[in-house]
Amino acid sequence: MSSKPVVILGIESSCDDTSAAVIVNGKVLANIIANQKIHEQYGGVVPELASRAHLINILPTVDAALKKSGIAKNEISAIAYTRGPGLMGSLLVGSSFAKAMSLALDVPLIEVNHMQAHILAHFIDNHPKFPFLCLTVSGGHTQLVVVKNYFEMELVGETIDDAAGEAFDKAAKIMNLPYPGGPLIDKFGAAGNKDAFKFSRPNVPAYNFSFSGIKTSFLYFIQEQTPEFIEQNKNDICASIQHTIIICLLNKLIKAAEELGISEIAIAGGVSANSYLRKQLQNLAADKRWQLHIPAFEYCTDNAAMIAITGYHKFLNNEFSAQNLTATAKYNI
Amino acid sequence: MQLKINSINHLAKAAAELLPAIAEKKIIAFYGEMGAGKTTFIKALCKQMGVTEVVSSPTFSIINEYKLAAEKKIYHFDFYRIKNISEAFDMGYEEYFFSNNYCFIEWPEKIEQLLPPQVFKIKIEQKGNERIISWQ
Repeated sequence: MSSKPVVILGIESSCDDTSAAVIVNGKVLANIIANQKIHEQYGGVVPELASRAHLINILPTVDAALKKSGIAKNEISAIAYTRGPGLMGSLLVGSSFAKAMSLALDVPLIEVNHMQAHILAHFIDNHPKFPFLCLTVSGGHTQLVVVKNYFEMELVGETIDDAAGEAFDKAAKIMNLPYPGGPLIDKFGAAGNKDAFKFSRPNVPAYNFSFSGIKTSFLYFIQEQTPEFIEQNKNDICASIQHTIIICLLNKLIKAAEELGISEIAIAGGVSANSYLRKQLQNLAADKRWQLHIPAFEYCTDNAAMIAITGYHKFLNNEFSAQNLTATAKYNI
Repeated sequence: MQLKINSINHLAKAAAELLPAIAEKKIIAFYGEMGAGKTTFIKALCKQMGVTEVVSSPTFSIINEYKLAAEKKIYHFDFYRIKNISEAFDMGYEEYFFSNNYCFIEWPEKIEQLLPPQVFKIKIEQKGNERIISWQ
């Protein structure tokens, strides 16, 4: 047993993307996210979201991950899958597939919490020291988590309304930029003046976040301007709204790091691709002497490698799951 | 019926006033532009109904669920990201709409033809700093 490599197949289907990954002794050999290319290869269309898309995608995605890794099905040690949180119909596809495959191959099953996996994605090619403070920011989530070890995590703050990524996308929508507009705000904002316009910032207690008020304040501002003004000042407007959102995130991160006495800081989730956030974090880390950890982008957005790495650590800890465990739309960290 | 709200502090009162009207309806559609305050008003309603969990925007997740007493639930939908009606079928909307649980729906325009006949429609408009909430 000890000399045999630990091969984990990870399956993720909590929201829009179907993904499968193979990792061997913690090293990623394949991390496939269903995309146009898979569809070109296997035929069919690309539905935007929903469980039927997962149904169409899951087999070719798992197959592609196994092929790319060069791992045969009988070499798999265990199958890790996303149990929640997420869209019920989507979760059911991944969990049913994982259960069926585990029965067929007679290998153990490992359930994984998607939000824990976002955080443990750091251990794919890095090793933050415990305890560390992780800011998880994506289109659907904004959380501050104290990570005590691989399995013990404490949620210390979260959004009380919109997620940070959603704030970016909606600000872009208000400016009539295409959805999802977060990356466009990043792009235009890079060339703008962040202090050109001021937007109200929320005052939320503790380590919680709120982005709904910023959205409304931004909406009022845009409603008062002419389309010409918005076009001429696009870069400054993007830089200013981006600065407002990012500062709200960082202020809570700083507050938590100071009050909880943690200098090992990590970021996770799709919004960590934002270049302004990365730059500000790097400045802060230098200033406050933080050890800063930012995972590779492919492990920030929803992916199965993070599910597999979580499964790997659970495997080492002998944490397996029963077949009768059901998927759950709500799943606290 | 129409309610005017000019401060976030009036939200709880407005939610309490609306509650008896929606109690029998179960499926409630909230119409309003982005930033009109749909999510904020649903938060206030959920609070009045006894939800203690965080009520947040389901724009990304499409559906959030909140626990009510006696195994009952509130499903909070946001169809903003839906591009095609078939996506609502694909996610199994019937399971939720006909579950006899409360369904609070943002961006119902996107799935108008799927709304059951008993749907209760609420419109939220922003006029300056005031919000006007109206229903049939």
